[in-house]
Amino acid sequence: MNAPLHSGLEYWLNAPDDGPDLAWLDERRHGARARLSARALPHSKQEAWRYTSLKSLLEQQFTAIDEPLSALQPEDLDTVLIPGFESHRLVLVNGRYAPELSMLGELPAGVRIGGLRDWLQHDPESLRGQLDAALGDSEAFFATLNSAGLDDGLVVWLERGAVLERPIELIHLSVGLDEPRVAQPRHLVHLEAGAQARLIERYVSLGEALYCTNAVMEVVLGRDAVLKHERLQMESRNAFHLSGFYLLQDENSRYSGINIGLGARWARTDLNTRFRGEQAECVLHGLYLAGDGQLLDYHLDVEHAVPNCRSEENFKGLLTGQGRAVFDGRVLVAKSAQKSDAAMSNRNLMLSEQAEIDTKPQLEIYADDVRCSHGTTVGQIEPEMLFYLRSRGIDASQARRMLCLGFAGEVIDQLGVEAVREHVAAAVGQRLT
Amino acid sequence: MTGASAVEDIVKSEYEHGFTTQIESDTLPPGLDEEVVRAISQRKGEPEFMTEQRLKAYRHWLTMREPEWAAVDYPRIDFQAISYYSAPKRPEDMPKSLDEIDPLLLETYNKLGIPIEEQKALAGIAVDAVFDSVSVATTFRATLAEAGVIFCSISEALHDYPELVKPYLGTVVPYTDNFYACLNAAVFSDGTFVYVPKGVRCPMELSTYFRINARNTGQFERTLIVAEAGSYVSYLEGCTAPQRDENQLHAAVVELIAMEDAEIKYSTVQNWYPGDAQGVGGIYNFVTKRGDCRGARSKISWTQVETGSAITWKYPSCILRGDGSVGEFYSVAVTKGRQQADTGTKMIHIGKNTSSTIVSKGISAGEGRQTYRGLVRIGQRAEGARNHTQCDSLLIGDRCAANTVPYIEVKNPSAKMEHEATTSKISDDQLFYCRSRGLTEEDAVSMIVNGFCKEVFNELPMEFAVEAQKLLSISLEGAVG
Amino acid sequence: MLSVKGLRANVGDKEILKGLDLEIGPGEVHAIMGPNGSGKSTLSHVLSGRDGYTVTAGSATFEGHDLLELEPEERAQLGLFLAFQYPVELPGVNNTYFLKAALNSLRKARGEPELDAVAFLRLIKEKLKILHLDDSLLKRAVNAGFSGGEKKRNEIFQMALLEPKFAILDETDSGLDIDALRVVAEGVNALRSPERSMIVVTHYQRLLDYIQPDYVHVLAHGRIIRSGGKELALELEEKGYGWIDAELAA
Repeated sequence: MNAPLHSGLEYWLNAPDDGPDLAWLDERRHGARARLSARALPHSKQEAWRYTSLKSLLEQQFTAIDEPLSALQPEDLDTVLIPGFESHRLVLVNGRYAPELSMLGELPAGVRIGGLRDWLQHDPESLRGQLDAALGDSEAFFATLNSAGLDDGLVVWLERGAVLERPIELIHLSVGLDEPRVAQPRHLVHLEAGAQARLIERYVSLGEALYCTNAVMEVVLGRDAVLKHERLQMESRNAFHLSGFYLLQDENSRYSGINIGLGARWARTDLNTRFRGEQAECVLHGLYLAGDGQLLDYHLDVEHAVPNCRSEENFKGLLTGQGRAVFDGRVLVAKSAQKSDAAMSNRNLMLSEQAEIDTKPQLEIYADDVRCSHGTTVGQIEPEMLFYLRSRGIDASQARRMLCLGFAGEVIDQLGVEAVREHVAAAVGQRLT
Repeated sequence: MTGASAVEDIVKSEYEHGFTTQIESDTLPPGLDEEVVRAISQRKGEPEFMTEQRLKAYRHWLTMREPEWAAVDYPRIDFQAISYYSAPKRPEDMPKSLDEIDPLLLETYNKLGIPIEEQKALAGIAVDAVFDSVSVATTFRATLAEAGVIFCSISEALHDYPELVKPYLGTVVPYTDNFYACLNAAVFSDGTFVYVPKGVRCPMELSTYFRINARNTGQFERTLIVAEAGSYVSYLEGCTAPQRDENQLHAAVVELIAMEDAEIKYSTVQNWYPGDAQGVGGIYNFVTKRGDCRGARSKISWTQVETGSAITWKYPSCILRGDGSVGEFYSVAVTKGRQQADTGTKMIHIGKNTSSTIVSKGISAGEGRQTYRGLVRIGQRAEGARNHTQCDSLLIGDRCAANTVPYIEVKNPSAKMEHEATTSKISDDQLFYCRSRGLTEEDAVSMIVNGFCKEVFNELPMEFAVEAQKLLSISLEGAVG
Repeated sequence: MLSVKGLRANVGDKEILKGLDLEIGPGEVHAIMGPNGSGKSTLSHVLSGRDGYTVTAGSATFEGHDLLELEPEERAQLGLFLAFQYPVELPGVNNTYFLKAALNSLRKARGEPELDAVAFLRLIKEKLKILHLDDSLLKRAVNAGFSGGEKKRNEIFQMALLEPKFAILDETDSGLDIDALRVVAEGVNALRSPERSMIVVTHYQRLLDYIQPDYVHVLAHGRIIRSGGKELALELEEKGYGWIDAELAA
């Protein structure tokens, strides 16, 4: 009854039908599917896909995961956990919530956290308005694909004024299976007015498996809510990673996101922010390190739909070996969004002959009383800096490494939890040896 | 709001140069097919290879589609409703001096404030004035001839120096390049050819004033400038157009070639009819301009002041092929009323130690829409390439829009590239400061905007800088806010 | 200790040093004075191995090593130290990390074991006191966001920590107010010892009131045109640099 999707993407949707039976949910899945089959695959003539080819992704012929992986024991997580990091831990294995591996701990009143599947089974109505709240009618191809295959994920819900002190740690753990599989988790995060939380999202794998993640997270921040969000993409170097992040901010809410991209062979991250209430603030930091055989692609879309909001984007990239990175940032200031303040910066260090960076920081402005700027640089380590270090007796290669770490450090230092900061610093340091 | 009414004023300020001159034109009927292409070539008495090239381009054009990626909106153009050739009455009888020029034409120029005779005496500028599509006046030939510089119309050049034109024409912008360039290759009417021999520093600024006149006539100019090793030339182009109802299509192609150590400076002041307050009747300016720095240490510099046209679609570019070659792009663009501009540049770094500079200043008022679209590409072999881009937008009024779309592609680790962009309005503090010192609001705006554009104006030859500032002031007349 | 003979050096095609001779023994402090553009900074840079200078003739030996053959870090490992006129900002590079890396690299070159964290921290705090610098400096990035005075003090602090055999202070007084100058000078004086030599490059005599040199040299047009004791500095202060051209013309 459904028209087949392009290039085998059909098989991304083979999810088992043992989930909750909800007519409205089926309708949404089918709607998404219909929109996809009416649309062409992303291609390089589209601005959003100008620098990133889907070829290697489609060659893999990924298929959806049909049953949860139950063979894992808690000790299998040992290599994955960050020592000394205390969190409300949630683990997804191959896209499915794994309560047996999670350690939710005690949650204060007004905080509810759980698997999307369970939630849909027990309290579907509460999610009806939440699902797609931030995603809206986005035309993003892979987010729509995620909607069409919607199956499991997480729900984080903080009621009015709830404050969660301990960070939530969301681990996307991928385990290689016999054939290349794709997982499409969907997460919903809702902070009601005045609620506060810190969310640390990690993408990791056991071994160097080949798989694909196509995750979507929707976040709605109520009035005065504060979310600190750190995303650490450290997938297997054979993995394909797609993630769509959709944020909707009400009045005076604060969002601060830090995106670290180290892993995957091919990664595409879309970060979308929309201000719905005035005086809101969104700060996005990013650090990507693309080495041999890696493509890391970041797309930012920040929409100032109302006046008096502030956004800041600060992304830094290190390119080594045959690494490639793409940064495509767009700030849109709508006609009525006077007094918008937006600053976007993208700085890149090219460390090898074969590396490539394509960057495209855009401003689209329809209001006059605004302060918007963007800056981009692509360059190398400054010779003066190198000389200064060498004049203090530090040899050239160590000096270079120190400067790269310093460059990256400006982003890493923003990470709010010491154990996480050290974990990332070590991972970056290791990559730069 | 003190500024609101003043903004209305600027938006409404009527086009100063709008009037029509009555001159009999030898015009082909509207429409385009192979016969028309042959007829154009025949009327111009072109050599056979040109007719063939035109037909090749025309056949290719039929397979192409109009580009849609630019951030501009306009009704579909009916290419069969356009007349592709229009020449003044006496094409064979080309004037040798100003005395031979149709007095009505001279009057037109005078009304426009382009005093050819005065220029001759005062500014030392050679003028190749294009009226409709065929060159009718060329001055200062003798001085140029003495230096060995060829400065004539393309048709003339095809006649007299085919050996100089053939190896270069279409090598920088091939007919397959884009829809409008392809159309131009098929039907171009006339244009300018400049050839500066080895080691010659062109003794004067070369200038052409373009003007579109006859109704329903698209203008398809073709300009080719070749600067041989070690030579230097500065070329100035400026245009105005009479007020009229139908949209007029202008699809020019400009090709610049700079050999070793040569330098070409190309300056434009563009003030074509932008359409009335409803946006009716303005010029569609779809231009392909590209320079090829073929030789080592060559330099091509584009400077433009764009205040006219209903729609501008223009990306003067540099291919930095020669080692150590230099590309520059300095631009001021003003959009007001319903004007739309999608403009910028491309800097393609191929050679070693190439460098480029981009300075773009966009001013948007009324319901003007403006997009800076620029590409900086640093190829894998472009060791030591450098780029600096500064791209600022100034917004006047709350109904205008300014977009910045830079594309930066770097494949060489020794490259150094910096891009900065800002968007802001004239601050109340700035205005207040000026006014508290006794300036009127209008003068203050003009001063601040001129200051905003100074970096670009500094790049223009003196005569043009003055004209450009005047143009900017007229464009922004009453634009306080 | 340091012996410079007939040193000629170019920046691009321009010759800046035109046959410079200089002999410095252990424990000696030599002031090099001269007008702007005389080649003072070029000398500092050539001795410390900065890129961008071509040595066309002459030699510079340090304790028997041919300095000009060595990489900057090798010179530092031999005990050479340059206090920069314009200390470079290293955003994101933590000061403690930087100091530890530098110190350990020098210790390693001398065949000494690396310092453990506790010993290092103790050492560093002791040295900070000499320069009246606050602990908070250690948490900051190297020179990033420092005031002019802080940067200069940080240079001398590094010198105190790294204990070079030979230090070149390149216009360390420039941009310092009198109080900051005093602190820097005290720091330098505390580091004077019979084994440690210094070149103090300066435009003004002022610094030499605080750091008393054993010898003063006047550098002009790429050569040392006069040498003398510290009284030469006072003479220069009195006459200004104008007489140099007069003397050269004569």
